[in-house]
Formats: sequence, structure tokens, C-alpha cells
Amino acid sequence: MFDIRVQAQRFDCGVELEALSQQRTDVGAVASFIGYVRDFNERPDVVALTLEHYPGMTEQQLRLIAEQAARRWPVLAATIIHRVGRMEPGDPIVLVAVASAHRQAAFDACNFIMDYLKTEAPFWKKEHTRTGDYWVSSRESDTLAAQRWEKTDV
Amino acid sequence: MTHFTHLDSKGQAHMVDVSAKAVTARTARASASVTMQPHTLEMILAGGHAKGDVLATARIAGIQAAKRTPDLIPLCHPLMLSRVTVDLHPDPQLPGIRIEATCKLAGQTGVEMEALTAASVAALTLYDMCKAVDKTMLIGDIRVLQKQGGKSGDWLYEADTSAPASAASPVQGSQDAALQVRFFAELREQMQQDELQVAVASLQAADYPLTVAGLSDWLHQQFPALKSGRLMVAVNQQMAELSTALKSGDEVAFFPPVTGG
Repeated sequence: MFDIRVQAQRFDCGVELEALSQQRTDVGAVASFIGYVRDFNERPDVVALTLEHYPGMTEQQLRLIAEQAARRWPVLAATIIHRVGRMEPGDPIVLVAVASAHRQAAFDACNFIMDYLKTEAPFWKKEHTRTGDYWVSSRESDTLAAQRWEKTDV
Repeated sequence: MTHFTHLDSKGQAHMVDVSAKAVTARTARASASVTMQPHTLEMILAGGHAKGDVLATARIAGIQAAKRTPDLIPLCHPLMLSRVTVDLHPDPQLPGIRIEATCKLAGQTGVEMEALTAASVAALTLYDMCKAVDKTMLIGDIRVLQKQGGKSGDWLYEADTSAPASAASPVQGSQDAALQVRFFAELREQMQQDELQVAVASLQAADYPLTVAGLSDWLHQQFPALKSGRLMVAVNQQMAELSTALKSGDEVAFFPPVTGG
């Protein structure tokens, strides 16, 4: 039911989204999010970034987050693919896609998984710019985004 | 695909055109070692050599050599180095001297050849300074330890044991009563290593509790390079708190707040 991958290679969004509803007729909605490398962040002129992870723990945390989402919403299937290594502006970093019978559950579960991925999955970004390299700091807004799910009743 | 960049389509040697590559901050770290008779090392440390201060001379030689790298290596680009450091650590375990060279610049190509040349020539100079008392000295461990910046990204030599002996010695505990401590991202860079074994006994000897907080305090005391700030901790690959109790054999990972997605 969950397809969780941490990999260096690019992914094909079309193939991944189709796979979620293939050979089944109970899926009424697939919601997805794709994150890309931006050419600006804490500094302008980002030329590349390197993503590091904690092999073993990262995959396990992503699975826990997907399981949590499936306990709150009627999720039929979910795919989480996160890339690691070096990427350049325009490259896709992450894909989260959720299949459900109805759109609201798919949208909410996808949003929830992304918010928790940002704050609880061990990934770290280092940005390479024309003026030097630095590790990206975590954002307060990401923590608040994840916290709002603690207050909301389903 | 991995291939030799200095060979063209006909297999002939050529200098790579880097004019289209972005200017980025780049750093490379390389090591070398000179193994010698224990009494040779003692003489170096006592400053009793006829040729004068061996370590200072080798350090200057290494720095000078980094600046001459393109004259020595045929297809290497001339670089405007912004920083060269050569550190020499006496290591009685070797016995001998461990050399670590770091080169930095903002440019279009890597600086590992400069770091390797600096480390190699510092080693050769050590040999030259000491050959009158010891002809059996062995030069070894010449390798790149770390690269940062540039197209191929950050790279760290996995079995990085180049940390000075003084930093590593307090944690050479027995394997059967130890914690496996891991560092990620910025913390790995501050520690200059990704893994460390901490003997349970060394925490107990210093009166630190066997908890995440106790281990964290002990590490900060042992390794001043480890900056304080908000850290996340995982024990056996599960998120943990400062109060989480530890036991021998646990894998404890310290890392900065996560920034994926």
C-alpha cells in the first residue's frame, strides 16, 4: 500500500501517478505534490544543492508518517519518493502522491505527509551558491505547518 | 558515466575547458604520513635536529608546494588559492608524523591536486630534514580526505581516521561496553567524522549520566568544535529526547533540525 523510496535518480511523475490507480477501480482521487530545487533561497544564485539522509532511519520515518496519515484518512495507496545527492535548480526533489476514494482525503493526507516529512524525516540540505556553501536552516513556518494537524479534528 | 576527464575522444591527454563552469567556493583536504623510528620522532619533538625546526620547515614547504602544483602536474589548471594550511601532528602510535593539508579557493575547478601536493611535499621535506638520522622512513597515506563545492558535490573519504590522535584517544573504549555515535550534516563537518565509539566507562568516569543529555554534555566537553544549538537525537534510529536512557550497544545519532522536502 505504501511505496517509499530514497534514491539518487530522477523519478518520472507520470509513471508514478499512473501506478497508484492502475489495476484498481476503487480509487476516485489521486493528489500529489512535487518539490523542485529553486535558484534562490537564503541567498540568491543557488547553483546546486546536496541532500544528505540517514540511511535506514529516513525510510522508516517516511513509513511512519504514511501510516499516521492512513490512520486519519481513508488512504488507499501512497507513494513517497525523495531524492538524495546533488541536484541543480529545476530538478525534482520529492514526490508525495496519495490515492483515496474522494478528493478531500487525498488532498489532506498529501498535505499532512509533506508537512511531517519537512519536520520529522532526517534529510538535510546544503546549498551551493556563487558566494559559498551553507547548510540550510530549518524554518519556523514548517514547524507551525506540522503543528496545525495536532489541533485539527478529522 | 565515470570516465577520465583528461583524455579526449581520441584518448589523447588534454586540459579540460572549465570556462563554462560556475565559480563556486571549493575546499579539499588531503593527508600523508611519515612513519619513522621512535627515536627520530623524539628528536623532532625535542627540537634536536641539526637542520633546525623540522615541523615548521615541512609546513612552509607544503604551503609553497601547493602554489606550484600546476608546474608539476601536466594537465592541472593554475589556481588562485585563497587559503592553504598544512598541519603536522606527531603520532606516537605510528610512530611518526601525520600531515593534513587543506586548500581553498573560489574558482571553476577542484583543489584536491593542490592539497595532495602540499601533503606530499611536506612529507618529502620531513624526509629530507631527518634522513641523516633515519634512512628507513616510510611515506604513506597520501590520499584525498574531503572535497567540498563544485559540480560533483561534497565527498568525504569514508574511513577518515586522520583526526589527530589527541581527539580520538578518549573514545578508544572496549567494543563490548560502548555507544555507537553518529553525526550528520553540519555536525559531521564540525566533528570531521561521521562515526565515533564512546566507551560507557568514559561517561561514568566523568560522572555523566547514561542518557542522551549526559552523552551530549560529554561530547561538547570533549569536542569544543561541536557547536551548541538546537539538535535532534535518534536512538537506534528512532527519535529520542534528552532524557532517553542509553545502554551499551545503542546507536545514537545527533543531527541538526531536518530540512528535506
